[in-house]
Amino acid sequence: MASVMLPVEPTPGFSFENCRRNEFLKAKGYKAPVATKTGTTIVGCVFADGVILGADTRATAGSIVADKECAKIHYMAKNMYCCGAGTAADTEATTALISSQLELHRLNTGRVVPVVTAATMLKQMLFRYQGHIGAALILGGVDSNGSHLYTIAPQGSTSKNPFTSMGSGSLAAMSILEKCWKPNMTEEEAKKVIRDAIAAGIFNDLGSGSNVDLCVIRKGSVEYVKPYEKANVKGTRTGNYKFKRGTTEVLSKKVVPIIIEEEIVKPISSDSQMDTS
Amino acid sequence: MFLSRSEYDRGVNTFSPEGRIFQVEYAIEAIKLGSTAIGICTSEGVVLAVEKRITSSLMEPNTVEKIVEVDKHVGCAVSGLIADSRTMIDRARVECQNHWFTYDERMSVESVAQAVSNLAIQFGDSGDDGGAMSRPFGVAILFAGCDEKGPQLFHMDPSGTFVQFDAKAIGSGSEGAQQTLQEVYHKSMTLSEAINACLTILKQVMEEKLNSSNVEVVTVTPEKLYHLFTKEEVEAALSEVKPLIKDEPSSSSTSKS
Amino acid sequence: MALVLKNSSAALNQHSFSPYADNGGSIVAVAGDDYVVIASDSRLSTGYSIYTRDQSKLFKLSNDSVLGCCGCWCDVLSLTKLLEARMQMYLHEHQKVMSTPAISQMLSTMLYYKRLFPYYILNILAGFDNDGKGVVYSYDPIGNLEKSKFKAGGSSGALLQPVLDNQLGLSNIKEKPEAITLEKALNVVKDAFISATERDIYTGDSIIINIITREGIREEKLELRKD
Repeated sequence: MASVMLPVEPTPGFSFENCRRNEFLKAKGYKAPVATKTGTTIVGCVFADGVILGADTRATAGSIVADKECAKIHYMAKNMYCCGAGTAADTEATTALISSQLELHRLNTGRVVPVVTAATMLKQMLFRYQGHIGAALILGGVDSNGSHLYTIAPQGSTSKNPFTSMGSGSLAAMSILEKCWKPNMTEEEAKKVIRDAIAAGIFNDLGSGSNVDLCVIRKGSVEYVKPYEKANVKGTRTGNYKFKRGTTEVLSKKVVPIIIEEEIVKPISSDSQMDTS
Repeated sequence: MFLSRSEYDRGVNTFSPEGRIFQVEYAIEAIKLGSTAIGICTSEGVVLAVEKRITSSLMEPNTVEKIVEVDKHVGCAVSGLIADSRTMIDRARVECQNHWFTYDERMSVESVAQAVSNLAIQFGDSGDDGGAMSRPFGVAILFAGCDEKGPQLFHMDPSGTFVQFDAKAIGSGSEGAQQTLQEVYHKSMTLSEAINACLTILKQVMEEKLNSSNVEVVTVTPEKLYHLFTKEEVEAALSEVKPLIKDEPSSSSTSKS
Repeated sequence: MALVLKNSSAALNQHSFSPYADNGGSIVAVAGDDYVVIASDSRLSTGYSIYTRDQSKLFKLSNDSVLGCCGCWCDVLSLTKLLEARMQMYLHEHQKVMSTPAISQMLSTMLYYKRLFPYYILNILAGFDNDGKGVVYSYDPIGNLEKSKFKAGGSSGALLQPVLDNQLGLSNIKEKPEAITLEKALNVVKDAFISATERDIYTGDSIIINIITREGIREEKLELRKD
């Protein structure tokens, strides 16, 4: 029983208590606030010595760019990274949650967690929420079995591919991957393919933009490059937009003096001194 | 009047073998029965003056309206079948308002004349809009107005033909009046000189004695635009009527009708 | 009972009809005493895709009037064609080229004529008024007309307008300098577009600027970011 002394511990999982109220408000014409989408291009491919993941850095809210330099390649474990597309909060929360579970798993088992384990945990979580968690993921990593690349849809379905793309710019990116990807590429070749694929998304998909981020995962080492390339630079402005002091007119001035009504001095007695031991 | 009168003078859709449409020519003749109207265009503005035939002392002279306002900047003097002229004036007013509504500007005097001309030639067989009139309008009109080109005077006859004039007379006394205008008009005429000329000529061609109730005077100037003279203003103008100084015929630049 | 149910379900049958597209883009116009500047971006898009990176949204109507249109591009093409035809008819009927105020009024009536099936366009008209001073007219899709000295509209209209209000309207600024120069106006227009492109996904690629003076119309181009 809840009391002042012992507050109720919230039940785990999502709270649905506002659903009825929200439906009612919607029917009354209230518009729900829009979630920030990553409106994204993310790609991944395997090469001779590992996996490379790539992402653009634009986050949008409707037609407005919400963040010009957001990070879409999330840390999962030392040997694993995961690109996220879809609702920004969902990709962030999902990858962070699974990442923490992977770390616990590693501590419990005392070995490098296989990539397939992370893929399974992600798909189980997403499936549980029936697509309501809007996270479309590309999971890449290296373990004792080699290099792995997984695509995980918001509904929880997965596929294991040598190369893949996701997000609103996935079609533009895939056109490059289909043309350029070949098995057993060198790291430099693979980086070029990934860069080109992300650039295709940045320039041809309005939901994607700004820079190219790359993450190379090799056996035993990781190279996270952010930004790998500044594909777009801000135009230089010609005017000076610094305001001179006094630009805003002072319409009226009023000085209110602080009146000291009473002064109280509380002496700290020696017996209640702070315990510094 | 015409020696070759025949079946051809009945229809308005039929040319005679000489290439004439008699009904139009008869309509032009009808104008010559109408009251006299004079218009003079000066650089200061345009003046229109008409005689009003007060056939009975029981008539209310104010209700005889032969000069009307079409828009703030355009006035019309008419002669001929006054009832016909109402239709044309209505069209002119509608076109002016429509022009203002669509373009937020004053319609040019020439465009007003053009618009009325389009109505004037719609006699005869029904066109797209189901035939406006079965005969030509028996009206001649003087359009006086001020637009971006300055003060202007246009004359239109029942055939729909319209021509710009410096000075023009229509109606029963038009032949004599036009002759005098030719002699009197000069390019540097002032507006008051033009008013004086109009009244003097009307005095000459009218059967009755000129007074403030049997004459109507309107000026259209860039400043005051359309202005109908009050009884007092007409009386003042009449009191100043003085004999005209005739110009040398060779220096006259008046167009011939 | 069964009959009633059948009828009620039939009554709920509704077909949707969406004849409009939003092809994005932005317009900015600034008027001074002896000049008018009007600029548009050159990106034409639908959803997340780009149709073209090189489509000017400015239409030269006469030697001193330029119209900027953005919104539903098919409506823009249709309206501008009709405008050209109406201006040609006016030229023949009245033996003169339409003035900017005459065009502004005609455009308003043309838009209101389609009150119940509007042209989905944001129009901004730049030119000279009857006193020979620069003027900007802006419209909503159904013909509401507003005369002003500067205006921004289109997909990033809400981003651009406050910049103009502050830099050209000098709102909340104590010192009011003398008239805005052409150079200042050009700088503000360019800089406003550079900044809008940073945050609006439907504005970008490049801007086309028409500078209208009594000498004629001059065109300038400036590249913007392409993402």
